Amino acid sequence: MTAIPLLSADELSVGYGAEPVCAPVTVAVAAGTALGIVGPNGAGKSTVLQTLVGLLPPLGGTVQFDGRDVDEREAPFRRAVATVLDDDAFFPSLTGAEHLLLTARGHGVGDPERAVAAQIEVFGLAERAGALPSALSSGQRRRLALAAALVRPFRLLVLDEPERRLDAQMRRRLAARLAAAVAGGAAVVFASHDADFVGALATRVLVVDDASCPVVPTADAVAALHEG
Amino acid sequence: MGVRRFTRRATAARADTSWVTQVGDVLSWLTSAAVAIGVLAGVVSSLRERIAARPPVAAAVLPGAVTAGVAAVLLTGGVLGVLARLGPVSATPAVAAWWLPLPAGRRGLLRGELRRVAAVTVLAAVAAAVPVLLAGPASPTVGGVLLGSVGAALAAAAVVGALVVLQAAGRIRWVSTAAGGLAVVAVVVPAAAASAAAGLGREPADGTVLPAPPPALAIGLLAGTALLAALALIAADRRLTRLPAGALRERGETVQYASASALSLDARELGRALGTVVRTPRRPRTWTWVTGPERAVVAADLAVLARSPWRWGQLAAGAALPVLAARTRGLGDVPALVAVAVVLGWGLAAVSVGEPSRRAHASPAADRTLPLSAGVVVRLRAVVPVAVLVVVCGVSALLVGQGAGSPLGWLAVGAATAPAWAGAAVRGGYRPELDWSGPVVSTPFGVLPTGVGATLVRGPDLGVLGTAPLAIGLLLGEAPPVLVAVQLAWASALAALAVETARKKS
Repeated sequence: MTAIPLLSADELSVGYGAEPVCAPVTVAVAAGTALGIVGPNGAGKSTVLQTLVGLLPPLGGTVQFDGRDVDEREAPFRRAVATVLDDDAFFPSLTGAEHLLLTARGHGVGDPERAVAAQIEVFGLAERAGALPSALSSGQRRRLALAAALVRPFRLLVLDEPERRLDAQMRRRLAARLAAAVAGGAAVVFASHDADFVGALATRVLVVDDASCPVVPTADAVAALHEG
Repeated sequence: MGVRRFTRRATAARADTSWVTQVGDVLSWLTSAAVAIGVLAGVVSSLRERIAARPPVAAAVLPGAVTAGVAAVLLTGGVLGVLARLGPVSATPAVAAWWLPLPAGRRGLLRGELRRVAAVTVLAAVAAAVPVLLAGPASPTVGGVLLGSVGAALAAAAVVGALVVLQAAGRIRWVSTAAGGLAVVAVVVPAAAASAAAGLGREPADGTVLPAPPPALAIGLLAGTALLAALALIAADRRLTRLPAGALRERGETVQYASASALSLDARELGRALGTVVRTPRRPRTWTWVTGPERAVVAADLAVLARSPWRWGQLAAGAALPVLAARTRGLGDVPALVAVAVVLGWGLAAVSVGEPSRRAHASPAADRTLPLSAGVVVRLRAVVPVAVLVVVCGVSALLVGQGAGSPLGWLAVGAATAPAWAGAAVRGGYRPELDWSGPVVSTPFGVLPTGVGATLVRGPDLGVLGTAPLAIGLLLGEAPPVLVAVQLAWASALAALAVETARKKS
C-alpha cells in the first residue's frame, strides 16, 4: 500500500532572486517517515528546507502540505508543522521554561507543566530552565529551540542540522526522541552532515546537488557520508 | 582621495534613479503636502470663529524657566544614558583585534578615543544648553548665555571623565538606569505638581524668572566646575590602562551598530542598538489563564512589558509631557505647541508598548510557533498597546484639558485616540527593513535607499494623523461628544488600516 504523502514537492526549484541554488527537487514525505537531506556546504539544503515550509517562494514547481499549496501564514499549517531553522527566535525577557510553557499552553497541550518538565529533562536543561535566552550558551539555545518544537503537537517536524552544537550523548538522545515521534505517526524532514544521525533516523535521503537531487536509500547516503 | 572617488563613482553607477524620477518624487510629495495643508486649512477656516472665541487657558501655572530646567535635566539624562551604553570609551572590533594585543601601553592607544568622546560630548552639551539658556530667563543676556555655555561644556567634560572612571571600575551599568529614572522624574513630578496646583486653582507668585546668580558666585561656580573637569579627565586618562579588551570590543560593536542606525536615520535600529539589558526574572510565570494561542500572544506581550520597568517610566513620561506643555505659561496658551507635545508624548508611549511587535519582527520565527494565522497574530499584538494606551492617553488628555470644558470629554477623547497610537505601535514595529539592494540616493547623511522617508515614518505617521480630531479640540478649547465620536471612529479606522498593512508586510 502506498502511503499518502503529507508533504510533496514536484520539480521544486529553490534559490534567491532568479538563480536556483541546486537542481529541481521532487520528493514525497509520508506520515510516519523521516526524510534526511544531505549535501556539501552551500549545496542548498537550508534553502530547500525554507522553501518546503513556505519561508521562501519557489522559483518553479510546487510544494504541497496535506494536498494544499504551502502557506506558512495560515493557522492550520502552523498548527501542524513545527520547525527549528533558527536558534535565536526567542523573547529576550522570557526564560527558557516560560518559552516552553507558553508554547505548550498556546497549542492546548493537556497538562502543560508536565509536558514542559519532560522536555526539560530530555534536553538536559533543568539547571538552566530559569535563565533568559541571552544567558544560555549556543548549545543550550539549540536544545531549547528543539525542546520548544517537541513540547507541542505536530504532524510534520522540519529541522535544519538539529545535531549542530550538540554533544554526542545529546545527539543520540535527540535521534531517539525523533525516532519515537516518527514511530508515533509524525513525519520528520531534516538536513544533516552527521552520518550516524542520518543513519539512526532517516527512512530515505534526499541528496542535494547542482546536477540532480536524487532520493536514495539511507544506507547508500550514510556510506557516502562516511566516505566524505 | 582615490578610494573616495572610486566609491562615489561606484555609488553613482548603482543609483539608477534619474533626475526625472527624483523630481517626480519631489513633486508628488509636494502635491500630497499641499492637499493635506489645504484640507487642514479648510477645517481650521470653518472653525475660525469658534477658535477665536476659545476661552483663555487659566490653568497654566508653571513658569517657562521651570520647563526649561526640565528640558536641561532631560538632555543631561539622555547624554548620560547614551554615554554609559556606548562606553564611553570603546574600541572597534578591528582596533580590539589589532591594537589592543600590541605590547604597548593601552593608555596611549585609547587616549585619542577619550579626547574624541569628550570633544563630541562638550559640543553636544553646548548645542543643547544654548536654547535652554535662551528659554530660561525672561531677558537672556549675551554674557549669561556665554557663561552658561562654558559651564555646560565644563560639566560635560567632567561627566565624561567620571564615567570613564566608573567604566574602569566596572560600575557603569547603573548609570543608564539612574539617568533614565532622573529623566522620568524630571518630567512627571513637575507635571503632577502643576496639575495639582491648577486643580486647586493656585497660581505661583512672581516666580516666573530664575534669579541670576551674582557675578562672583557665577565665576566661582565656573572655576569649581573647571577644576572638577580637569581632575575627572586626568583620573580618566590614568585609568585607561584598566579598561578590559572584551568590554571595549563589546562597546565598540554597539557604537558601530548605533552609528550605522543613526546615519541611516533608523530610529528602530538605534533603539535596538542602545537597548537595555534584560535581567532574569525572580519569579517564573505559570500563565494558568492562558488556555489558547490568542491568550498566549497576549501573555507574551504582557510579560515583555512587565519585565521592562524602564518602559513603564517611558509611559509615565509620555503621559506627563503634554501635561507639562499645557501647564507651562507661554506654551499652554498656544494649542499648536500643546498638540506637538501630545504627539511627542503619546508617540513615546506608543514606542514603549511597541516593543513586542519590534521583537516579533526581529525574530519572525516566534510568531510562527503558535497555531494562529499571521494576520491574527498581528491583530493580537495590538491588544496590549490598546489597553495600556487607553489609560495613558485618557489620563494625559484629562490633565491637558484641565480647566477647559468637561473633564469627562477630555478623558474620553484622549482614550479614543488610543487605537490610532496602538496601530502606530504595531505598524512601526512590523515596518520592513530598509531595502539597500535597490536604487540609492546621495544625502547629507550619506547614501540612503530611495523611499527611506516613507519607510521610516511608518508608525508615527498614523499616530499623528489619528490625533487630528483631538488637535482640533485643543484649538477649540473643548471636547464635545461629537468630537469624541469622530475621534473614536477615525482612530479605529486608522488602527484597522495599520494592522492590515503590518500584516501584509509581516
